[in-house]
Amino acid sequence: MSDWQPPRGPRIIPEEEAPAPMPEPPPSAGPKVIIEEDRPAPRLDFQWEQAVVPVAPTRPSVRWSGIGRAIGGLALLGGGLAALDAANFVADQFARGAMQGWATLGVVAGGVALLGSGLWREVRGLATIRAVDRARAAFARGDLAVAKAEALRWAASVQEAAPLQPAIRDARSVEELAALLQPTLATLEARAAAMGRTAAMQSFAMTAISPSPGLDVLVFAWRGVRLVRQVASLHGLRPGLAGTVALLRRTLLDAATVAATDVAVDAAARALLSNRLLEQFAGEAAAGAVAARRMLRLAKVAAEACRILPPG
Amino acid sequence: MSGLLDPFGLLRDAAYGAERLGRSLIGQDRIRLAVTGLTRAGKTVFLTSLLANLLAAGRGRRTLPALEEVAGGRLRVVRPVPAGLEGLPRFDVAAHLAALAADPPAWPARTEDLSTLELELELDRQSVLAGLLGTRTVTLELLDYPGEWLLDLPMLAEDYAQWASATLARMRRGPRAEASAEFLAFIESLPPGAPAEESLVRRGAALYRDSLRACRDRLGFRFLQPGRLLNPGPRGETPLMWFFPLPQDARGGLATLVAERHAAYVETQRREFFEPYFRRFERQAVLVDVLGALHAGKEAFEDTAEALAAIANALRYGGGWLDRLTGVGVSRVGFVATKADHVPARQRDALAALLGHLVAAPQGRATHAGVTTSVHALASIRCTEDDVATLEGRPVAAVRGVLLSNRRSAKVYPGEIPLRPPEPGFWAHGFFEMPEFQPPRLDAAGGAGVPHLGLDTLLAALIGDVL
Ligand SMILES: Nc1nc2c(ncn2[C@@H]2O[C@H](COP(=O)(O)OP(=O)(O)OP(=O)(O)O)[C@@H](O)[C@H]2O)c(=O)[nH]1
Ligand SMILES: [Mg+2]
Repeated sequence: MSDWQPPRGPRIIPEEEAPAPMPEPPPSAGPKVIIEEDRPAPRLDFQWEQAVVPVAPTRPSVRWSGIGRAIGGLALLGGGLAALDAANFVADQFARGAMQGWATLGVVAGGVALLGSGLWREVRGLATIRAVDRARAAFARGDLAVAKAEALRWAASVQEAAPLQPAIRDARSVEELAALLQPTLATLEARAAAMGRTAAMQSFAMTAISPSPGLDVLVFAWRGVRLVRQVASLHGLRPGLAGTVALLRRTLLDAATVAATDVAVDAAARALLSNRLLEQFAGEAAAGAVAARRMLRLAKVAAEACRILPPG
Repeated sequence: MSGLLDPFGLLRDAAYGAERLGRSLIGQDRIRLAVTGLTRAGKTVFLTSLLANLLAAGRGRRTLPALEEVAGGRLRVVRPVPAGLEGLPRFDVAAHLAALAADPPAWPARTEDLSTLELELELDRQSVLAGLLGTRTVTLELLDYPGEWLLDLPMLAEDYAQWASATLARMRRGPRAEASAEFLAFIESLPPGAPAEESLVRRGAALYRDSLRACRDRLGFRFLQPGRLLNPGPRGETPLMWFFPLPQDARGGLATLVAERHAAYVETQRREFFEPYFRRFERQAVLVDVLGALHAGKEAFEDTAEALAAIANALRYGGGWLDRLTGVGVSRVGFVATKADHVPARQRDALAALLGHLVAAPQGRATHAGVTTSVHALASIRCTEDDVATLEGRPVAAVRGVLLSNRRSAKVYPGEIPLRPPEPGFWAHGFFEMPEFQPPRLDAAGGAGVPHLGLDTLLAALIGDVL
């Protein structure tokens, strides 16, 4: 029994063949194709579409980088110790008398509530920025349901887009949806450009009269941040501090990629060496004309970063 | 290799390195995945499956579980990079998928020209500061080409005399001698100092081409040069390809002409094919139709191994000072036995093990240069199910699929897959050609990808580290 080895040569065995009595193939004969059952067979079906349907997305794993840990640690120490301190203090005050106790508790509770609401707004601000990403991803994927939901949320927050809401609800395809949003987005873009011109004029004027280059940079940075926030609110985004930082960062990144993608190898290498990020936004803001041109550019890139449709 | 001799090459390498480095710093990695494979190895089908399944994964479909795992659910969107100013055709995934899904289905034809496509993978960042940093992208550069052309790569390092004597030596060995008999007789009959007479040269080239064709199609041989004589590309044959090997002692006008054409041909291939596409790449998938080579017999099997080794010898696997300096170069190579659905599941490990032996030389070279290598068995498009067949009254593991030629369902027993290059006795069964199977039922739009075996593991090994 165990000394039987499967034949070494490959061969084709037709499907509906009787298994038992098989003529022993002569040892030297190569494999053969024998089709007995002369009936076309249907194609194999692995039910692949059903096997790969999306499940609830797994939460991406997060890696705590060094700086992340440090910030987390500081927050925990600061927040935790402050909370402990406050609790002890309130207990002490209650020990002195009910009146003092309640008053202190009220003060602490009010402070915590203010802090909490501030933080909440920050988180909301950041979330609105993420919503732009979600919308763009949905458009890129061609996911009509999500794209529609995001477009409705956007239309509700942007004054100019409010009349579009019924049409958005009726859109049949992602392309149709995109076409619906396009004119409004163009209007917003034009308004962002106008804001950029105002900011450009202002920073030109300010840098012209300011006494020191250091101050110029500060003025320019302040005006730039304000401009980005203005453009964001135009697009229905209300970024808090964290949201603004995220938006600035994306704006800078977009500006950098514009430089890095359109020209070939040597240009990208040059971009790396002369660091366009620095060149564009910090460096010699002293020259008012340069500053003005940069403001215009910033407005344009910021507007692109806030669009719920991928640009172009 | 040639880097030191070519200052412009050095400069270009340095610029390329700086560009890749800069991109990875701002979170916009660009990775060229070189898919190398001899003709019929399965490159076109592999690229089609890779693109379809990655695009589907970008839509949230779980087509590539192993890749998804290393990406940690961070993959957001996958999209083809819109066409820019390329002067090359685009790799047409949609058309290939449609043909595979059609009724009756059709496999891609032999590839006759270069085509490229870039895929952009958009990923969330892994750091806790991701909210501030935004997303990251990884761009994959892919290229499809006729497999025959790859064999021109070893020609770059040889002059005509070396090439001709090595080629003639190979031609006079084993079954090739019989397939090339007419050509060999022709060069024997040439008078010494034959003139560069046009009709003579063309006759020689035609005979040489016929012998190459016979070796490829009838014997399953792969080490056949020049590649463009077998597969001239969209423009058809040009006089540049009309050369053939002559014995060492040949003199005269004919010998000079073929040597000149050889040099010009090699130079053209270097400039148009290898410099732009194979001089620099970061990842490589080496596709090998191991089973096909095994079934084609001892000589064809050894010939395939020789061809793979020659190609690997001609590729740069880094390890040079410039590569260290710029930190670019090949960092991962996957050796892949394709069409793994031709064997039942329990023989796939044997297939990979056999491939490991077949590519021992290239793998050693890559590992020596500090490259991470791995060996896989993969089916780009799974066309069979495992089954049990009865041979000589005994059950054996087999696969069952629908034959493309006559739409009949058939079981195929692929034979014993040896774990290492087999002993002489193994080859007694003679030449066997695996029939083509019908692809399974596919969604023509390709929205859900295509059924595959092991593509996800390969991708995780090749690009998992940049996700
Ligand atoms: N069953 C099965 N067959 C495959 C698979 N991949 C390729 N094949 C078969 O192999 C043949 C050749 O595949 P191609 O992808 O066209 O080969 P290639 O490397 O592009 O060949 P050239 O264009 O000549 O260089 C196909 O026609 C199929 O019959 C697979 O995953 N499973
Ligand atoms: Mg091909």
